[in-house]
This record gives sequence, structure tokens and C-alpha cells, in this order.
Amino acid sequence: MFDTIASITQGRNRDEDESDAAEKGSTDDASDGAAATLTGEELVLGYPTSDGPIVDGETITAERGAVTALVGPNGSGKSTLLKGLANQLAPDSGSVLIDGQDVHSLDTKALARKLGLLSQESTVPDSITVEDLVYHGRYPHRGFFEHVTYEDECAVDNAIDLAGCGHLRHREVGSLSGGQKQLAWIAMVLAQDTDVLLLDEPTTFLDLHHQLEVMEIIETLRDEREITVVVVLHDIEQAARHADSIVALRDGEIKARGPPEEVITERLLADVFEIEAEVDSTDRGPRVTPIRARHDETDESDAAESVDGDGDSDSQVEAE
Amino acid sequence: MSNRESTVGADQSRRSTPSESRFDWLVDPKLLSVAIGSLAVVVISGLVQVSLGAYSMTITQAWQAVFNPDVVFNLRAWNAFLFGGELPEMSRESLIVWNIRLPRVFVAMLVGMNLAISGAIFQAVTRNELASPFILGVSSGAGLMILLTLVVFGSLSAFLPLIAAVGGAVAFLIVYAIAWKNGTSPVRLVLAGVIVGTVFGSLQTALFFFADDIGVVQSAIAWTTGSLTGTDWEQVRLALPWTVVAVLLGVAGSRQCNVLLLGEQTAKSLGMSIEKVRFALSGVAVLAAAASIAVAGIVGFVGLIVPHMVRNLVGSDYRKLIVGCLFVGPALMVGADVGARLALSPVQIPVGIVTGLVGGPYFLYLMRKQQHMGEM
Repeated sequence: MFDTIASITQGRNRDEDESDAAEKGSTDDASDGAAATLTGEELVLGYPTSDGPIVDGETITAERGAVTALVGPNGSGKSTLLKGLANQLAPDSGSVLIDGQDVHSLDTKALARKLGLLSQESTVPDSITVEDLVYHGRYPHRGFFEHVTYEDECAVDNAIDLAGCGHLRHREVGSLSGGQKQLAWIAMVLAQDTDVLLLDEPTTFLDLHHQLEVMEIIETLRDEREITVVVVLHDIEQAARHADSIVALRDGEIKARGPPEEVITERLLADVFEIEAEVDSTDRGPRVTPIRARHDETDESDAAESVDGDGDSDSQVEAE
Repeated sequence: MSNRESTVGADQSRRSTPSESRFDWLVDPKLLSVAIGSLAVVVISGLVQVSLGAYSMTITQAWQAVFNPDVVFNLRAWNAFLFGGELPEMSRESLIVWNIRLPRVFVAMLVGMNLAISGAIFQAVTRNELASPFILGVSSGAGLMILLTLVVFGSLSAFLPLIAAVGGAVAFLIVYAIAWKNGTSPVRLVLAGVIVGTVFGSLQTALFFFADDIGVVQSAIAWTTGSLTGTDWEQVRLALPWTVVAVLLGVAGSRQCNVLLLGEQTAKSLGMSIEKVRFALSGVAVLAAAASIAVAGIVGFVGLIVPHMVRNLVGSDYRKLIVGCLFVGPALMVGADVGARLALSPVQIPVGIVTGLVGGPYFLYLMRKQQHMGEM
């Protein structure tokens, strides 16, 4: 439990991490909760109900201790890819590796101690308190009959602190606003105390204050806990500003990847999001000013007739 | 650790690491008042039950008979009650109270406990407030087997309780198999339960046509609506061990229920082997339901409304909910059985009819009052 406390104050230099991560699957002793590299190799992902795969043979690497943002229009497969990485969706082929270890070789609880997921589908009975909810994050650390340990209590306290919801601790979840609820959920996945954290659109539907709060938590996790974060973001500017690396998807294909300054270009916005936009580089990263939607039917890049804007769910889109 | 007292999890192991705070979540004023209120209902209904009847005695006589030290502290008497040994001599009142009327109250308590726990677990497993022990095919399977036994295989009727319970369990397995397609889902489980229920229900109705004796039909109706008429220590002996097992497993599984309620994806990402847990919990619920079917037939509505009442009173934390069910279930069953035995005296009606008459309107009231009903 002292590791948990120590790792908050530790904060390793991020440049180091990136060079470390170059040797993929390097075995830095991950036992002390140090960051891990998450790699999806040649992932083919689809739903039983969809005709073909949604994501067809993509490889993605989330560098250790860095924030990787997945962006793309509705139905581009970014949530699907995230589910694949989280082992929620079994890949038709390909594999997901944490520090070179196949996630399938881990048992479910061992995996949940390494990899946490904040999904969009999250329901909770209204009458439980925030604290009770956060304690559920300790599930993978407890045996069937095990009692709450001092370590659990520390992890929960830390998580609640970090998510900034100490004042909500004894409130019932049903009485919270959307933004406060999101903080409570984030506290729960933080209590899970994982090396890798996957977040599915954590800022969607939140007001600006809570959006910024969530992004700040993510940055704190990266800077102070060296957690590897993969986050699906709807807001491209948010991604540009907070992520170390951006992966842009369209029709289940990764169209671009790299640091924000390289990926967020006018050409990419036109190709992937079908918008005309102006991109200015500022010291807070690229700033995107959307101008108009493009209706360029002859563009060779949309061989698949794209039906953006109507489906919220990535799963509704069928790959050609 | 200022938050110590409020953060204690559900540790159900009976190991003896002493920890003052381990069961602190149990000390909840709402849960305590629910427990005390329910106990009061059980005691009062129980006393009414033991003092009234064909052999009438006053409340004082009934009290004296119930607390007759010659019986309460008599090991031979308990040996007779619990293990079927030879009954020692006792006064007429004591004999009637202890050998005829009280066992019925005890059976009602066990049945109420089992049904309530079973319902609570099924509601967590399907994440649906409308689930009950019988929605997943248990009642239709049990009912069909009861009718088959009575109408076709009359010679086996000595094993009726066992056959009914097995029928319920088998039907549940069929439901699970139908719902299985790379894993199950709450909706598919409920739908499969409806399908199996419909088919088995038709078969039951068909079997009624082959019953040639009105007595057989009446007996079949008593079984399929749930009745405590004529229960005695034998039924207590039959249900008690299974009830103990089901209650212990139910309490132990309450934390798993809580995590199941967070939704499939979240439960999975927390490292729960969701199919295993769902199947194991369903197994506990079927066991509890089967124990109650074996002694009382198919008593409707108790498994549906008791978890609801408790949820309204103590909240949806399953650690408290299950404990609450252990008290409210018996209260409802014992209370309803007073009505069943004495309302139309000397005619006794099946207790299932009373629970239906009480439960239906209560459920209607809940439906009107609550905006969101159904999915939890």
C-alpha cells in the first residue's frame, strides 16, 4: 500500500518513458505498479450482429505513462477498438498485449488489476453512496471471502482524493449531477489501481467545468502515477491539448497517428472528419477552428459511403 | 482512518479474525427497525396462529404452551421435532401447539426466507426488478412435474416435494441453455423463462384433462398455488438444512450481487467472471426456491414483492437487502398464512391465494408510485 502512496509523489520523467517504450514489451519490473505498455496487434474486431469486422487488422500501441487519444467521427470504430483493447470484445484475430503478455493468458481478476476500463454503459443503483461505489473498484484485489484491508482503505481514499470527489463521499449516487457521477465512476476505476486505464468518452455530455476536471485528472495520472491512459475523445481540440499521442480513425481504419502537432492538420480534418477547418498552432497545442462540413462526394478517401452524424453508437456502422 | 466504520465490506467468512468494524454496516437504523418490525409481525401472527383453530384456547394458554419449559428445554422433544425421534409426553395444549400449530409457523418462516432470498438474487442476476424465483422457469417446471406425478405417476407421490424441486431446477437449466449464446444476458434469460413457462404451462393445463379424480385436481391446485395446510415437523426437517445453506450462500454472495448491478461491462472490467458468478448465484436462488416448493408448493408473489419492500426500506445495497429479506419474508408468509388458515375457517385456503391477493395490489401501488420500474 505504500507503493500506492509513493507512486503519487514519484513522477518519473516522461521522456524516459517514451524511450523505454521503444523496446516494446521490455520487462521493467511491473510488480510495483509501474506503467505498462498496451499493444493491440493486428486486431480484427466485430460484433456478432455486424456483417463484417468493424476494425480490420489494426495495430495500436499505447506508450507507457502517456496519454493516447482515439479520435474519429461517429461510427469510426474508436469505441470498438477500445473495447477490444480492454478485452471486453474478443478479437476475431490478433492479440492484445500488456508488457508483452497476452491478456488472454491472464485470469480475469489479474487482468483487472492491470487494466481498468471506464465504459459509457454504467448503471448503478441510485441509493448506494459514492464511497460504496468506489469500494467496488477494489473487487479484483479481494478474494471471495476477503475482508476490506487497510490497503483497500488507502486505495479508496487516494482514489477519492485524486478524483476530487471527497465532498461527495457520503452522498447517494442517485442525487449527483452527471458530472459528479462521472467523477465518482473515475474514482472507482482509480481505486482499481491499474497500470493501464482505458476511458470511453469520459467527457461527453459533461459541462465545461467537469470536462476540464476530468482531463486534469487524466494528466495527473500520467504525470504523477505514470499510468498508461487510452482515452476515446469526441472533442478533437481536447485531444490535441491533453494527449501525448493521437490516433485518428475512420471506418475502422487508423488514418494517422503521432503527436498532436503532426496529426491534427487541416488535411487530416478534411479526410477523417469531413470538415473544413483552420488549424493554428499555439503553445497549448494545435487549435482547431471548424468552418464548414465538407460534402465532397468525389473524394477518393470515402470509398465507403459514410453515414456520419446520425449514429451515436459505433456498433451501428457496418464495415464494407 | 476516520471513515473506518463506514467502509467495512461484506465479509461473510466465519473465520475468527476479530474486527470490531467488520459488521458495522449491519448496524443501520433502517435495517434494525425493519428487522424488529418484521419479528414483531412474526411473533404476533405466530401467537394468533397457535391460539386459534378447531381446538380453541386463550392467548394466555397459548403463551404458556409455547413457552412451556418442559418442552422448550426438553432435549428429547427437540430430538423428536428436528430428527424425527419419539415424542415425549406432554400436555394436550402443548401437544397441539408444539406438534401441530407451531411447525406450520416455522415452515412459513422458512418458506418466506427462501422465497425472499431467491427473489432478491434473481433480481440481481437479471438486473430486473420484475424478476422472481419463478420467472426463470422454476415454477413452471415444478408445476409440470407435480401434475405429472399426481396424474400419471400416482405411485411416486411420496416423493412429490423432491420431484417438484428437481422439476424447477431442470426447467431453470433448460432456460439457461436456451438463453445461452456466447454467454447470457438478463433480457435473454427472462425471455427464455417466459418461453419455457408458456410451453410448460400449456402442458400443465393439458394434464388437468387427464385427471379423473376431483381429489387429485384439488391436490394439484393446492401444490400449484402453494399451501401450508397440514405441514408439520417433517416439512421443517426437510427445508431447514437447505435453507441454512441457501441463506449462508446468499449472504456470502451479496457483494457479487452488488457488483453485478453495476452493469455487465463494469463488472467484467472489474475482473468478475460474470457467467460463472451469474450461474452460481442462480444456483443458490434455485436451491432456495426448490426448498420452499418442496414443502409448500408454488407460493406466488412473495419472491417478487419482498425484495421490493426491503429495497424501499433499506436501499439497494445487497448486503443489507439480503439480511432484510431474511426478516420480511417470514413476516409476510406467517402473516399471510394466518389469513389462509383462519379467514374462511373452518375451510382453509392455499396461502398462495392470500399472498397473491396481498401482493398484487401492493405491486400495483408500487408501479403507480415509482417512475422507473423494471431495470435496476
